[in-house]
Amino acid sequence: MAAEPLRIAGRGTASWFLIAGLLALWTGALFGVIGSWQHVVPGVVDAIPFVKSRPLHVSLVVAWIFLGALGGVYHHLPAIAGVPLHAPRLVRVHLGIFIGTGPLVVASYLMGRFGGREYWEFPPVLGIPIALGWSLFMYNFFRTVAKRKGPWPAYLWMWATGVVFFLVTYAEANLYLFPHFSSNMVRELTVQWKAYGALTGSWNMLVYGTSMVVMERITGDTAPARSRTAFLLYALGFTNLLFGWAHHIYPVPSAPWLRLVAYAISMTEWIILARIIRQWRGTLGEGLRQRHSLAHRFLFAGEVWVFLNLGLALLISIPAVNLFTHGTHITVAHAMGSTIGINTTILFASVFLIADAAYDRTVRLGFWLLNGALVLFWLCLIAAGLVKGWLTVTTDLPFQAIMDRARPFIAGFAVAGAGLFAGLSLLVWRAAQGLLVGGMQRIARDAGTFAPGSTTPSSGPPHR
Amino acid sequence: MIFFTLVALFVLQSGFTYTSATDGVKAAAMLDGRAREGERLYREYNCTACHQFYGLGGYMGPDLTNVATQPGKGPGFARAIILHGTQRMPRLGVTEAEADALVAYLQAVAATGTYPIRHVELTPWGTYPELHRDGR
Ligand code: HEC
Repeated sequence: MAAEPLRIAGRGTASWFLIAGLLALWTGALFGVIGSWQHVVPGVVDAIPFVKSRPLHVSLVVAWIFLGALGGVYHHLPAIAGVPLHAPRLVRVHLGIFIGTGPLVVASYLMGRFGGREYWEFPPVLGIPIALGWSLFMYNFFRTVAKRKGPWPAYLWMWATGVVFFLVTYAEANLYLFPHFSSNMVRELTVQWKAYGALTGSWNMLVYGTSMVVMERITGDTAPARSRTAFLLYALGFTNLLFGWAHHIYPVPSAPWLRLVAYAISMTEWIILARIIRQWRGTLGEGLRQRHSLAHRFLFAGEVWVFLNLGLALLISIPAVNLFTHGTHITVAHAMGSTIGINTTILFASVFLIADAAYDRTVRLGFWLLNGALVLFWLCLIAAGLVKGWLTVTTDLPFQAIMDRARPFIAGFAVAGAGLFAGLSLLVWRAAQGLLVGGMQRIARDAGTFAPGSTTPSSGPPHR
Repeated sequence: MIFFTLVALFVLQSGFTYTSATDGVKAAAMLDGRAREGERLYREYNCTACHQFYGLGGYMGPDLTNVATQPGKGPGFARAIILHGTQRMPRLGVTEAEADALVAYLQAVAATGTYPIRHVELTPWGTYPELHRDGR
């Protein structure tokens, strides 16, 4: 990639998105540990009760996914488009808006000021700067890629879809502010989950696009992202983003056709699962051989988690199975498996690549702690969910009696969560360190240590 | 081409979702002024952190879809818990008037339908009658 002179503009800012994201991840995970223990030991950490720890956890880790993906897009886009970012200054404005809004969200939670819907429980006015910052990003993204010549690789389609649909669904998630929606609870709930289905779909687009870019960077092979398979996967993902959402709300009494459409669409994802299995049969050996490469290792772990979570998601999208799993910790297992196992793992691959970090002992320990603890975490949630779901549907036991039966698994989940947090902490530490050191080198270089445009072997391969 | 067809279908489906596909609720399930106030309070106190409707929401407390009509529970029971909490539910500082609004909201929610679904007559393709029947 002969884009050396371009890579300077906006890259420092891109790194700050990543550093802010890592900070959000670490604090968000900490609140997650607190929240999980509050299920086991009622009243623990009195200062931050569960009404606060839960939204702090959710909003901060979601912020990590977006910041991590945004940092990657801003970082890689100039090289992909072959031109500098259209407006590097707007990247800084975007960063400023996000970094200004984050503490306001955290402060409103800490003060017990809520008002939003689940997942965005902050007062809805704070949604305005978030949408504004995103609009700047969208503008910059499209103005930059418009200057690119030739057909788009699949990851650009994924990114473009993620960029647009985030805004669409974010607007949709706020429709409850209008009485047409809020005066009819079934409508309000349906639209809320319609929006959330597409919202997770849109961040998955950003993250999966990033994973393709990382793969292309480390292998140097540009063919896969332009193959028919890549576009088929994109088309399937997009269809599911648009129409698969009602599998979250099978029990909600909306029109049955909505839910049947979602069932039919969701089942198309078996194709993706089958493809992963087929592909592994061919490339598992390759994946293991490449395990010394840090980014590769994270991408490979991400793929394993895609496999496990897609399998789980497909099962619980069958209405007959969903009857027992809906509203239980199995849904949580699915959510945590995807956001940690898939999204976070892929984003770490991207961050470590950008930070040019080595696979040292700290990272190795972090990697294994994270993945090992996540397996236990995931299995405990599934077990707790099975107990809750089965007893809720088939017996008349009161809620607390059911939860008492599930309690041992919830305790296991809380213990595993602490291990997960330890692993994450190591990785966050190493990644942030790598980014900061890289930033220092860049500053030194920009200050004239190196002539602009020269390739600088000391800072790693130029294609980063 | 496929892309634009999908987007057009999405717009169409969104239109239906905002209107006819979610139209059929009973009159008692429509939120009046007080229930709307309750809905707002439900967000402001972040009840969703611990509670679910139709299985959607937090996991610390029970699902509240039908608490306002359930035998042995009902509006008075809900009101008392909302005001005073229990061993496991914190006392959130809800006022009497706010508790009335919250209960009005819970009553409207209870009129929308039943959850959990106990109907387990499954069809060979994996669905159950509530998905097909106009089960409102
Ligand atoms: C920190 C978590 C938490 C929050 C926040 C919370 N609750 Fe609860 N709630 C619980 C738990 C746990 C129970 C079960 C209590 C028990 O069995 O002792 C419960 C029980 C209830 C019940 C009785 C349900 C039944 O079927 O027995 C009602 C009604 C209720 N809560 C309403 C509310 C409302 C309304 C709000 C918001 C104003 C709210 N709760 C906020 C945790 C919470």
